[in-house]
Amino acid sequence: MAKKTYDLLFKLLLIGDSGVGKTCILFRFSDDAFTSTFISTIGIDFKIKTVELRGKKIKLQIWDTAGQERFHTITTSYYRGAMGIMLVYDITNEKSFENIVKWLRNIDEHANEDVEKMILGNKCDMSDKRVVNKERGEAIAREHGIRFMETSAKSNINIERAFCELAEAILDKTSGRESAENPERVVIDRKNNDKAPGYNKCCA
Amino acid sequence: MEDEHEPTCRPNGSTSTGSGDDISATNAPPPPSLLQIVQKKFKDNEKVHSIFEAYQLKNQEHANRILAVVSSLSGGTYAIISLSIVRTPIRFPTDLTCTNVFPLNESFQILVDGNKGFKSQLKFELLTGDGKPATFYYYIMKSEKESLFFDDFYAQIVSFKMSMSDRHLSPDFELSYVWLNDYRQVGEVKQELKNRESEYTVYNNYKIYCATWNVNDKSFMNSNMNLWLSCSTEPPDIYAIALQELNNSTEAVILKDTRLDPAWIRKMLDSVHPDSQYEELRSVRLVGLLLTIIVRKGLKAHISRCRINSITRGILKMMGNKGAVAISLQLNEGNICFVNSHLAAHMANVAERNQDYNIIEKDLMFDDDQRHIRDHDHIFWIGDLNYRLQIPPDIPASWLRDKNNPFEAMLIHDQLLQERVQRNCFVDYMEGDIKFCPTYKYNPGTDNYDTEKMRAPAYCDRILWKGDRIEQLAYNSVMEMRESDHKPVYAIFNVKIKTRDEKKYKRVQEEVLKAVDKRENDNQPQITVDTTVIDFGVVTFNELAIRDFTVSNNCPLPVNFQFRIKDPPLNAICEKWLKVDPHNDTLPIDTERTIRVKLLPDVRSIRGLLKKIRTTNLKFDFDTLILHVENGADKFISVTGSYQPSCFGLSMETLCRTDRPMCQYSQEDIKQLMNDVTPDYRVTMPREFFLLIDYLHKQGPKLVGTFQTDKPQLPLVGNFNLVRDWLDTWSEDPFPGDAQSAAVALLLLLKLPEQPLLEPLVGHLLESKSKAEAMEYIDILSAPKRNVFMHLCMFLRVGIECQYYELHQVASVFGRILLRSKEYTRGDFNTRCSEVMMHFIGPDIMDNPPLIGNGGGNVQVSAQFLNTS
Ligand SMILES: Nc1nc2c(ncn2[C@@H]2O[C@H](COP(=O)(O)OP(=O)(O)OP(=O)(O)O)[C@@H](O)[C@H]2O)c(=O)[nH]1
Ligand SMILES: [Mg+2]
Repeated sequence: MAKKTYDLLFKLLLIGDSGVGKTCILFRFSDDAFTSTFISTIGIDFKIKTVELRGKKIKLQIWDTAGQERFHTITTSYYRGAMGIMLVYDITNEKSFENIVKWLRNIDEHANEDVEKMILGNKCDMSDKRVVNKERGEAIAREHGIRFMETSAKSNINIERAFCELAEAILDKTSGRESAENPERVVIDRKNNDKAPGYNKCCA
Repeated sequence: MEDEHEPTCRPNGSTSTGSGDDISATNAPPPPSLLQIVQKKFKDNEKVHSIFEAYQLKNQEHANRILAVVSSLSGGTYAIISLSIVRTPIRFPTDLTCTNVFPLNESFQILVDGNKGFKSQLKFELLTGDGKPATFYYYIMKSEKESLFFDDFYAQIVSFKMSMSDRHLSPDFELSYVWLNDYRQVGEVKQELKNRESEYTVYNNYKIYCATWNVNDKSFMNSNMNLWLSCSTEPPDIYAIALQELNNSTEAVILKDTRLDPAWIRKMLDSVHPDSQYEELRSVRLVGLLLTIIVRKGLKAHISRCRINSITRGILKMMGNKGAVAISLQLNEGNICFVNSHLAAHMANVAERNQDYNIIEKDLMFDDDQRHIRDHDHIFWIGDLNYRLQIPPDIPASWLRDKNNPFEAMLIHDQLLQERVQRNCFVDYMEGDIKFCPTYKYNPGTDNYDTEKMRAPAYCDRILWKGDRIEQLAYNSVMEMRESDHKPVYAIFNVKIKTRDEKKYKRVQEEVLKAVDKRENDNQPQITVDTTVIDFGVVTFNELAIRDFTVSNNCPLPVNFQFRIKDPPLNAICEKWLKVDPHNDTLPIDTERTIRVKLLPDVRSIRGLLKKIRTTNLKFDFDTLILHVENGADKFISVTGSYQPSCFGLSMETLCRTDRPMCQYSQEDIKQLMNDVTPDYRVTMPREFFLLIDYLHKQGPKLVGTFQTDKPQLPLVGNFNLVRDWLDTWSEDPFPGDAQSAAVALLLLLKLPEQPLLEPLVGHLLESKSKAEAMEYIDILSAPKRNVFMHLCMFLRVGIECQYYELHQVASVFGRILLRSKEYTRGDFNTRCSEVMMHFIGPDIMDNPPLIGNGGGNVQVSAQFLNTS
């Protein structure tokens, strides 16, 4: 119903074990804030954020899923519409890292084939409690041919970058398909004059 | 096809301004009315006269609209602006966006054609100019007290339109619709950006050089035009060069020649200021009139719009020998218009000149956005305006020819100045002081006034301007250029052009985007639930349980919610043995709704529940409901509890491991029993099964009519639950049912276990060729299954012999239960089931002595198997 205020709309999805920080990552990105109290997500929330990439306004609609085990089956039904998926683990939680493989399998089974993926090793501010080193994160990402970044929702490290990179990867894919949007500048037509072509645009 | 819809009901989401605020706002000022909010959507000098609520149909959906009747003080015009509702309740102007603009101009129509039946359908159409008519519908009842009833709305529009067409005839009013451009096709972000324009707007200086010369139908390619075109110290940014009488030939006039003469334009480019590089932006010609815009190289990138047009005011007011050409352009954020006009000639024709001016002013319009000359920020009107010096009869005509006359003395008699004072032309235009000699009429090649026709000298060639932030730096004629009978004139201006500071603009844009996003996020409809876990505690087979939970709406919008339908194969909002009511509803602000969940662990659920117990926790989620809020998030509601198993659904092996009634086992015990794979059975045959057969056997002729179908009638009502408890407690009491209910219980006892009784040999049996082969397979079944099967067969055979039921019927019913198979897909499944069963319950069974003991048909004998070992 609202007037279109953007050029493109991308749907993104956050998945990963409970407690890895999905909700905090989204909250940091959308509201630039952080809370340390843990309220586990019971359902699917979404926030929107418009970013400008390569002169295009891109509205990101980001879905935050429940990570709790009991909801794993039910959350897979939300994978379908996603154009990009962030797989999040917690660098202080070995299990959450091991489960990345499981989450990847879920994506293979339930998401669109050409979905853009990115792995995030969150809570990188907690170096004293780190149990998964960065190399392991990089290795698994390399193995599956997807992007990787360590992030911290708490210290605001790489949060914006992660979303923009994912969005940009989707943009790369989509821009081939749709023709260039009409440029801001208006073409001045010279109906009554026959000058050399190429002289027509006033914004040369 | 849209039109065929009849408005039957109000769409969801009313357009009210949030009555929910009333309760809390006892001290706060009253919330603004809808009319006030709509008014804020417009500028200070635009007035919203009334609002009318309507809706449109977009893809079968209602889309609410507020139609605002607005007038503009500056434009002197009215329009209807259709606003769509971004979110409800409407609390801020940003909750509305403009979707459509209908100027109440001459082409405007509102169609309420009674013949077409519109009126009765509560439908009307708005139509302006070339656009397609827009169809609206409305409700008989209005919801806002400030909103008009349709008849009042209609009457108001008609009267406004009439008042405008009256005024249109009077030249005193300049009607303009350009103010409406701000409301055309502008998104929320753009509108917000427009509101904050002052924060990123700066004014940059541009030098504009205007020049005019009546060339007297000659071409002066050898003329030293630098004298005329490069008089400024600094190189100007824009030149507007106007020529008149380029070509007075009859054919040019008749053919309205609009071809541009490249030689002239090249000559101009050669003559402009030497200290900068220039290029032509655009030229426009009409017969004798040429207007060429030349810009400093690099400036084109800042010009986003450039349009031309012309208007003829010559012979018969049609020919092109008089008239105007004009160019409209947008430089940065400023709109500039240059006009070159050649108005009616001769001393006496002042009124004609005024009329020419007024018509050009009124009618010349640029086609891209219906922009008139007056709709520009900066206007430069250049040309041979032909106004003369008209001296009173008592002054000798020769006085004007005296070169020593002060200019002021002559200009007292200037028709243009006089007419302007009278406001007959060029109202609100400015002109710099004239400090040069009359520019007309000279003997070509000299500085001498015309001696041939002795025309009175006059200031025919003028440059006027209108608009803000324009400073004239020079205004002069060039006496040294003697080729024509006119002297050329030029004026140099410094104009402060509205420009966007890109850095500031970017920052404001970012803020606007952020704010718009934030508003969208904050205005997400939301509901709260009092629990996300509905715990049914311990549930038992075929026992209905009910739990309620509450959803409430504490957000400032009415909310629609529904339970989401889950993916196939379920295709429903929950498992079939759960019921949720209601499935969907609308929650007005500050209301709540009780949702009732009913759970019945019926025959369909049993296998799944037991499997969960066997493989997962004892307490588990029966199901998860997805509570979806329209345009908002989803919440998961877990339906949980633990299932206390009954004997129904347990395998014969599991039952044979028991030595107490089922009710005395904990769930944990049963889980262990189910997962036990050792052949250590406590009894040879489940007691529950034996008790049922025993009871049935004693019913004799009452068995008539039993075992008609393998599908017992659902739901299981009446005394079934008593039978269930009788079995699960090994009750000493008399059987609480009758033959029919015992028969149903028997069928379920055999039917509900995950595996059919004759598994793992179902496939073999179905393929078996002979009775002997089938017998061999039975022989290798697990002891509990084998015993149950043989005991069942003996019992059935007795009934068949006694003709309580018919052999084929029973063979078919039990065959399909005991041999149920997903693998066997051949069409003869039912036949095969019967055939296999016939081997065991058919009349020749006596030829093959039963495997279990020597009890023959005597059921009683089998009781010994029940003794524990
Ligand atoms: N130190 C630190 N703590 C974090 C960070 N991100 C999240 N947390 C904490 O981790 C806990 C869980 O964060 P959430 O974002 O709620 O976790 P989640 O992934 O959404 O969990 P579910 O909703 O159950 O799937 C919270 O207590 C956060 O404060 C981070 O970057 N650094
Ligand atoms: Mg969460």
